[in-house]
Order: sequence, then structure tokens, then C-alpha cells
Amino acid sequence: MCSVDSLFLSGNEAFARGALRAGVTFACGYPGTPSTEILEVLSATADRDGRVQAEWCINEKVALETAIGASLAGARSLVTMKHVGLNVAADPFMTLSLTGVNAALVIVSADDPGMHSSQNEQDNRNFAKFAKVPMLEPADSQEAYEFVAEACALAEEFDVPVLLRSTTRVSHGRSRVVARAPVAFAPRSYERSIDKFVMMPQFARQRNRLVLERLAKLRERAERTPLNVLEAGTADLGIISSGAAYTYAREAFPKAWFLKLGMSHPLPVEKVAKLYRSVSRVAVVEELDPFIEDQVRALGLPVVGKEAIPADGELDQEIVFAALEPYLTRRPPRRRRPVMPPAARISAPVPAEPQLPVRPPVLCAGCPHRAVFAMLRKHKVSPLGDIGCYTLGALSPLDSLDSCLCMGASIGMMAGMNKVLGRRAVAAVLGDSTFFHSGVTPLIDARYNETDGIVLVLDNRTTAMTGHQGHPGTGVHLDRSAGPALDIERLCQGIGVRCETVDALDTEAFESALKRELGAQGLGVIVAFAPCALMAPGEQQLTVDEERCNLCGLCLDIGCPALAPGETAVEVSAACHGCGVCAAVCKRGALSVAGEPAGKP
Amino acid sequence: MNGTTTVSFVGVGGQGVLLAANILAQTAMAQGYDVKASEVKGMAQRGGSVLSTVRFGKLVWSPLARHADVVIATELLEGRRALPLLAPQGALICARTIISPGSVLRGETQYPQDIEAAAAARSVTLLLVDAEAVARQAGTVRAANVALLGAASAKLPFSEAAWQQGLAAAIPAKILDVNQRAFALGREAHLNEEVTL
Repeated sequence: MCSVDSLFLSGNEAFARGALRAGVTFACGYPGTPSTEILEVLSATADRDGRVQAEWCINEKVALETAIGASLAGARSLVTMKHVGLNVAADPFMTLSLTGVNAALVIVSADDPGMHSSQNEQDNRNFAKFAKVPMLEPADSQEAYEFVAEACALAEEFDVPVLLRSTTRVSHGRSRVVARAPVAFAPRSYERSIDKFVMMPQFARQRNRLVLERLAKLRERAERTPLNVLEAGTADLGIISSGAAYTYAREAFPKAWFLKLGMSHPLPVEKVAKLYRSVSRVAVVEELDPFIEDQVRALGLPVVGKEAIPADGELDQEIVFAALEPYLTRRPPRRRRPVMPPAARISAPVPAEPQLPVRPPVLCAGCPHRAVFAMLRKHKVSPLGDIGCYTLGALSPLDSLDSCLCMGASIGMMAGMNKVLGRRAVAAVLGDSTFFHSGVTPLIDARYNETDGIVLVLDNRTTAMTGHQGHPGTGVHLDRSAGPALDIERLCQGIGVRCETVDALDTEAFESALKRELGAQGLGVIVAFAPCALMAPGEQQLTVDEERCNLCGLCLDIGCPALAPGETAVEVSAACHGCGVCAAVCKRGALSVAGEPAGKP
Repeated sequence: MNGTTTVSFVGVGGQGVLLAANILAQTAMAQGYDVKASEVKGMAQRGGSVLSTVRFGKLVWSPLARHADVVIATELLEGRRALPLLAPQGALICARTIISPGSVLRGETQYPQDIEAAAAARSVTLLLVDAEAVARQAGTVRAANVALLGAASAKLPFSEAAWQQGLAAAIPAKILDVNQRAFALGREAHLNEEVTL
């Protein structure tokens, strides 16, 4: 009997409505059965009320990066994909666990037991364990609807992305949904935080300890959350189950005790122990991998699992009944006390001798990236970053980069952030090798989704950080032989993106290109071109006019290791390449390269 | 530990720390020892701190050790920073070379002046070597890493012949000559210093 308030929805429709109820205002993904309809429904519904931006992305990796950008910007975000899509998005996903989120970020992974329309049958609950993030598993449309808000609340409370696992029978099953009141939550705004969002080693190590501490707290939460319910029965049989498998088991064994896990990772071991105190026979009914079963066995408890329940394909109530029915007539196993897992030890940070100056890696003397960052800082452009030498631009004194997540993440994150904050709030910075690695797809995505923003490709003609390897932009092969070199500018033009190439060390040319972009609309790329200083040592010599230098510190503020304050004027060390970036920032014309002042007096 | 000797090399990226470590590893092999080594070099060219560890003995299991018997430092601050790496009664062979990090250049922090006192406080034998001067005498300041290794060589249990094999195995032929000279000059200058291992 349905009340007036109840709807008859597919799981995917319920996810979409649940997202609206949870205050999700940004959603994206890549289509893949059985996940596709979530965004389609969300977009159609959102069009009516105008609150939500939803879009298809070029692939799941770019979709997740875009949603991360939206989350950082303060929008509750949802990203949807089928199970194998998370393989594509695994790079941002794994490090996202370290950075955490700002506003909630929920990843719907729709698995396909039975491979109705998939090339494999992977069980993505393993990804939750792998990344140490919570996994929610709705069993029907009502739960699909409600769990989005639960996931959002968990994400913001624990600063963690949350995996919401659907399966074909949840996504494409239909059941009654009673609508609930929209949830209330505090709005969030973006704040630069490099130790949280720039995952270079020294910051990632700190975040990793927080991940382990967070996992322990999530385990406590799993014990208390109403999503994990111990349902009393009358038979001497307990069943631990989650998702669609729970519905089959419930129907097959109506008198059994159930531990129904809405939050299946981390496992609530105390609740498992409580079930074992109530019954003498326990089975785990789960589709695909022995994900819960393995953890129960690790407690030293006897359990019926994959020896009876098939480890492949979909289950149904007859399979479950036939599998477990023989065990009911056998003598129950001897009761055992669970051996609770010990709290994991987290290694202490290596104590540094506090009085010793640290020696962080710095951009080399003569590095063309420094010129770009100094100019971005001058024009108050705060870019999202990427992986390479230029990640060092995040550190003092340049302070010119806000994020570093994974290879190629800068452009997608920029897209998400600019969509939420409005037009061109942030730019993206990535290197030439990173651009070819995985910067091309998000650029195509940005073109397709009509993203506004400036992308700076720092083209130093090599993969510098790892020791100057070739890449498609240089055409240099592993054996150093020459091959075809791709032209970034022409590639951009080919996909319809405005692009110009300028000499990164030509301050005036670069500044005017940047100004042109800052005054423009839509999407633009600037290729800041200048070879890595380690490959092309400068031949020019920097000289200091000691009369003019008043030690104001402007040149020191670009963080060049070749410059130091002397007694009366700055001193130049032998490391100087004569790149002239310092001369360009000097306002008194005290620095000059090869006798010619590069800056204006 | 367990009859294995651990020598750690520290310095600043670009100083040839990894090359010096490789010479030692090759020398130890030439001497007939089992050798294992490991290095952290991801930031090596970006002016960051570099650490490379070489372990030798009759049979070496682990490539890594928390404490070293000898630390060879190509820079003074890095040598000072490495003192906690040394086992009690260990030896620090440290170049007098100073490469100030950015925070010192900008006047935010002080370059430490207490290496002698800190070494004494830890009962560490300290040998300070003017490696750059020795290398300059040999023909190029770039060979300071090898000059320093020469100074340390008198304190390590390898024959002259083994060292020569190690140098030849690790150093490119066209710069072998100048490095051999730097090694010899460093070795002579400190042959009679009181460093017991």
C-alpha cells in the first residue's frame, strides 16, 4: 500500500533524487551500465529547479578530478561510473583519500555481478579497503535515496571521499521510495591549504598518518551507525550480508538473525561478535569476492561463506537457500571467542633536529618555471597544479600553486572549481610531459563542457623531474634517437582551443600573453616555452650594480638559489645561469644580464 | 650490525653523493665483500638533501640501516644533520664545503657552527676535510666528492688496488684521471689522522 508521498523508483532514479535531497549541486561522470541513468535523471530534474550543474565528462578520471575541483570550491559533489570506470579514475581516487575533501564528495561505483553488460566482474568494495575510505552499500531504492545524504554527512565529518556501491539489481531494480525532507548542512568555502592539497612527499607523509587515524575512527563509527543493523531472528542462524544479496538472504531465511551492513567498510567487528553471541551458525552472503567473509575469518570465527555461496555471478534467493540449507541440519561449529584486530601502529614522524635549517628541494637556478610563477603571482593568478618539478612552485617564497593530486589532475580540477566559483576563478599549470601523459583528455573535456579557464603548459622540452627523459612533445625515444615531435599549440588548435606559445624567459612577451588571456573569455592555453636549465646551461652573466641595489628583497623573493643578500647588495653565486628573471623583477635596474638591463629602471 | 659495516653518504643534490657511494660499493666488491646499497634520489637534482647508504660484509641482508658506522658528508650542514645517523663511536668524515639553504640566505635561519661540539657530545669521531681545496689542487673543484672519499679511504678496510678498481668501475673514462689525482691527494692529506673505526 503506497502513501501519496511514496514513489516507485529505480535505484538510479533514487540516487539522483537522493543527491538533490542531500544538497549536491555538482555532479558528473562517464556513462556505463548500470550507472548511466543517475546523471541523466539528475540533469533532467536539476534543469527544472536549476540548482545543480551536471555534465558528462570525457572519462571517469577527468570526471573524478572535476568533482574534486567542485568539492574544493565548496559544492557537495557526486561522480558516477560503472565498476571498471573506477580503474580509470584510480589515480586521483587513491590520492584523494590522502587529501580528503572540502564539501562532500561521493563516488557512485555501479558494479555488475553476472557481467550483464561488462567486460569483467570486479568487486569494487576492494577499492574501499585499498584506499581506506568508507563504503556504503544500499540494498534497494529507498536506501539508494537515503544513503547519498548519509555519504555526504560522513564525507564532511571525516574529511573523506565516500564510495557508494550499487550493483545492477540496485541500480536497475525498482521499489517504493518515501521522500524525506532535504538535509541541512553548513556551506563551505575554498581556502588555500598546501599541506592538505599539494601531495608532495613531505605533506603526503603527514596526510597518510591522518588517513590511518581516520580509518580507526571510521571503524568506531561503523559500530554505531544506524546503517549497520543487527536484526534479531528466531532460528539458530545468523547471516551477515550487504546490498542486493541481503534481500535474497532475507527472503530465503526469514527466521534467521541478520547483520545487515549498509556500511560494509570498515567492518563493525563488535557487531559481528555480537551476532556470534546470539547464534551458533553464521554465514556471510555476499556477491562476488569474500570481502566481508575474509575479515570475519580473520577474527578467528567459523563462518560459512564462499565454499557454499558462489564467488561469481549474481545470487538470488534460491541459490542462497540451496547453498545454506544443508548447513542447518549439520552440527553447529564449536563456539569461539573472536580475536579482535589490534589497532594498527602508525610510525612516528622522524624527529628533525629543530635548530638545523631544512633544505627543501627548490627550483634550480635558471629554471624557466620560476619566471612563470613570479608572473602569475604578480597578476594574482592562483593555479591548480600537477606533478613535476613545478610542483615546487607551491612552496615559499613563490607560494604560487594550490594543488597537486595526480598526473594530469590540474585541468579537470580547474574545470570543477571554475564551474562552481564562476567563470575563471583559478587557472591550471602542468608540464609538457604531464600534458602528454594525461593533460590532453581533460583539455578536450574542458572544450566539450565549455569550461572557462587558463591552462599554462610549462614546456621545458623534457621530463625533467625524473632525469630528462623524452616524451611525445620532444619525440626523443628511450635510446635518445629522434622521432616525430608533437606540437602542443597545433594540438590545441586541432581541438578548437585558443593557444599561443611564448618564451617563458621573455618577461614582456609572457606578461602580455598572460594579460591577453586574463582579458579573454572561454578556454585558453599558454605554452610557456624554455628548455630546462639543467639541459641548456645559460651563457649570459648576471651583474649587480651595487650603487643601485638597496637590498629591497624583490629579487630574493623569487626563491633563486643563486641569489643571496650581501652586506650592501645582493650577491650572485656561481650557480647563476643568467636567466634574467631576477633582473626583470628588480625595480631599480640594479641587476643586468650581459650588460643589458632586462628589467625597467 | 651482524658483522656488516654501514657507510652513509650525505650531501646536497648535484654534489656527486651518489657517485661517491657507487665508488665505495665497487671498491668493497673488488675487495671481495658482499655489498648492498640504496639511495633516495628523487629530489637529487633539485638542491635537496641526498642520502645514499652502502653496506658491506661477508654476507649482507638488508640494503638499509638505521645507523651508520661511517658517514661521509660532502657538505657541512648535511654532515651536522647526519650526526643522529651515526652509531656510537662512529666516524663522520665531512667536507668543509658550505652550501647555504634558502632560509639561511634569506636570513631566516642561522647556518650551524657547532659541528665539533655536537660530534663530541655524541662521541663521534670527526674528520673535517677541505675537500674543495684538495680537488682544486687536483684540477677541478668538481672532484671534491672523490677527494673526500680519498680522505676517508685511509679509514676503510680496503686495499689501494681495490680503491683503484672501484674508481675505474664507477667513474667515466674521460674524467677518471683527474678523479684519481683528487683521490690520491685526499688520501695522502689524511693518512695519518686519528680516526678509528
